[in-house]
Amino acid sequence: MNNLIFFKINIMKKIAFTLLMASTIMMSCKEIVMTLEDPSIPDSDRVVLVEELTGASCPNCPRGTAALENLITEFPDRVLVVGIHGSFLAQPTSKSKFDFRNPKAKDLENWFKPWIGKPSASINRIPFDDGIMLDAPDLWQAEVENELKKPHEMNILLDSKYDAGTRKVILEVAAIPLLNLDGPHKISVYLTESDIVDAQSNGSVITENYKFNHVLMDMLTKHDGDALASDLIKGNIYKRTFEYTLPVKEGLFDPKRMTLIVMVNKEQGPDKHVIQAAEVHVID
Amino acid sequence: MLIRFITTFIIVSIVNLVFGQESTSDRGIFSGAFETNANIFLRDSAIGAFNTPQYDRQIFGGEAWLNLNYSTKDLQISTRFDMYNNSNLRVPNDSYTGIGIGRWAVKKTINKLQLNVGYIYDQIGSGFIFRAFENRPLFIDNALYGASAKYDLGKSWNVMAFAGRQKNAFETYGGNLKGARVEGFVQLGSEEKPITLAPGFGFINRTISDDAMTSVKDALRTYQPVDRFDPYHNTYSGTFYNTLTYGSFNLYTEAAVKSKDIFFNPFAIKTEILGTSLSKLENKPGSVLYASLSYAKGKFGITGEVKRTENFNFRIDPNLRILRGLVNFLNPLNRQNTYRLTARYSPSAQDISEMAYVIDAKYKLSKSLSLGVNYSDIKDLDGDQLFREVFTEVLYKYKRKWQITAGVQTVNYNQEVYEMKSAAPIVKTIVPYADFLYKFTPKKAIRVEAQYMDTKQDFGSWMFGLVEYSIAPKWSFEASGMYNSKPKTKATGEIPKKLLYPTFGMVFYNEAQRYSIRYVKQVEGIVCSGGICRLEPAFSGVRMTMSTIF
Repeated sequence: MNNLIFFKINIMKKIAFTLLMASTIMMSCKEIVMTLEDPSIPDSDRVVLVEELTGASCPNCPRGTAALENLITEFPDRVLVVGIHGSFLAQPTSKSKFDFRNPKAKDLENWFKPWIGKPSASINRIPFDDGIMLDAPDLWQAEVENELKKPHEMNILLDSKYDAGTRKVILEVAAIPLLNLDGPHKISVYLTESDIVDAQSNGSVITENYKFNHVLMDMLTKHDGDALASDLIKGNIYKRTFEYTLPVKEGLFDPKRMTLIVMVNKEQGPDKHVIQAAEVHVID
Repeated sequence: MLIRFITTFIIVSIVNLVFGQESTSDRGIFSGAFETNANIFLRDSAIGAFNTPQYDRQIFGGEAWLNLNYSTKDLQISTRFDMYNNSNLRVPNDSYTGIGIGRWAVKKTINKLQLNVGYIYDQIGSGFIFRAFENRPLFIDNALYGASAKYDLGKSWNVMAFAGRQKNAFETYGGNLKGARVEGFVQLGSEEKPITLAPGFGFINRTISDDAMTSVKDALRTYQPVDRFDPYHNTYSGTFYNTLTYGSFNLYTEAAVKSKDIFFNPFAIKTEILGTSLSKLENKPGSVLYASLSYAKGKFGITGEVKRTENFNFRIDPNLRILRGLVNFLNPLNRQNTYRLTARYSPSAQDISEMAYVIDAKYKLSKSLSLGVNYSDIKDLDGDQLFREVFTEVLYKYKRKWQITAGVQTVNYNQEVYEMKSAAPIVKTIVPYADFLYKFTPKKAIRVEAQYMDTKQDFGSWMFGLVEYSIAPKWSFEASGMYNSKPKTKATGEIPKKLLYPTFGMVFYNEAQRYSIRYVKQVEGIVCSGGICRLEPAFSGVRMTMSTIF
């Protein structure tokens, strides 16, 4: 009996030793250290649009905001941002003064489905594995860089006039393709507001003096854009004029903090990629 | 691929049936199982059941699984047909459609060698370093698509090695897994009072795919220098485990370690160009220590468990979140409750930082009366309380005529951590409950459930009631309702409506077949994990299920 036990324990020791040796050998295999290289981004006038799904009650969204501010710092004048406070986790916090939700933001949030959670962002509406939303802010920069490497295909010229008396803003848009662009195209005009200080869920706490930038307040087109033209011809000028009266709302719709962002995108089946984007402040 | 496999399956089965030996075991056994869910989505904006493709336009969504198995003495072939049709299982606020062969596997035994190829379900120890498993309601199917070989070293010992990729719906994730396990059984001590040991050792290596590593590098180069690290493709993890039995005592212990591994930490502070934010990729080693001691003798049984977890988020691709790409499984240590309100605030196992204890005791006072008590306590490694539960249960049986189960549960639940709700207070609940079963005849019985949850946090207080009338062995009818009796006033001062969430249903059994149909209104909930918040939407509609084995 004792011999049998000794035999069993001996086998156990041998097997464990063999596995331990095998695992030690594998663990001691050294990999070559990889270097983290920044890609080279060509100089051009191509501008990338980032449409972010966010919300005041979204505890993970400040890291999305931080990623976007990093992008704007890294690529000044090459990245435009629209912060969409739709429905999910967009309700005001217990310490909020403002409610950023609006019908266009809610419609856009639905239009962007499928998405898993917030923060999520579309980068020039290019497709990823599960749709056009990317829910990892760490990866937004790489996708923006990929888009910035692509050729500049269109110039968008903007001119805005604001009447302080009537609070009416008139926006004139001229889109000039730099090459022939097949298929139908749409134009979207976003009205955003920045430098709004209010409360934001931030991890396990609520940050009361959080600065909100690029908040989508309304759109001057339908939420999924208005038709621009089909088969755009190189050098032609496609003009549009938009008018909008800023509502009176305490603490919000301050023309000094407002920006109009114009985007032209292809609209052919699942291909909805953004051709170019441009911005102009309501008051320069 | 599909046609080829089905053809092979049929040919092998027929050849065995026709030319096989005369005995039943050699001729083989053909078996299978079918399960389906069919949902009709009825939009109800009052409870938030809207704004998904199913409510807006698709109306219908469902799933079906058909398992087919053919086995002889030393050969087993199995396959599974999967269908997701406008299903909300994969992403709760969206619709997923996919149809195909969800699984196939062949197991062949040659003397002491057992070979497995195809989609394999298996685990090492408790699953801390590796568990390939399926959980249909959560759209988890982490089968290993590859091969494994198991060799019996005598009667008491075996060694198994495997390699493959992890299943991802009808495809596989990039990256690969390989590992080994040795398990055995040793008896010590005297014949009258033996001490038995069931030791095991496992090891696994995970290699991240080049695509996943590109994403890791893309993320890391946006990090400030203080947060950057050198990423490696390979991670190694090992575990020792043992079950010791002596008399009425049973002790299970397991210690798992993981080499430096890239994982996403939703609680880590990340340095930004301006200020800081929460959550980032980290590269740290991890460990899990677990022990379970139980004692059962006569009318008394007691079990104590303890688990310490540190940095043990282990995925095939560190860029995946929530339930996707998990290589391992960490069991939650709290009591798994079944009643609607006692199960409302359940903690998920924390893979970054957790220290959990649970003690469960049962005592049978007499043939008709037994008592049970369970205490769970979960903190993070800094000592912050995450979860605490006291659960009591009294069961009284009166002959075979009626029985009642009743008790009280108290829970402290940290919503900030489990649901990432900012500035949310600890949810404190007290839930008295009772479950009464009365048998009119041996075949006809009525069961009544009543529960009340008293809480001032989250949604406020709830009531739940259920009546179930069963006519064995064919029929069961039920009606239940969950009512937000004292809704918590919102931050805006608005008092929410007192909503009722009713369910009516019936179940029909026909031997091995089970059919059910229910009209359901179910309250919504938000689940956050891995830095991403996921909405589990409210449900309004009709749910039909059918399952059978053959």
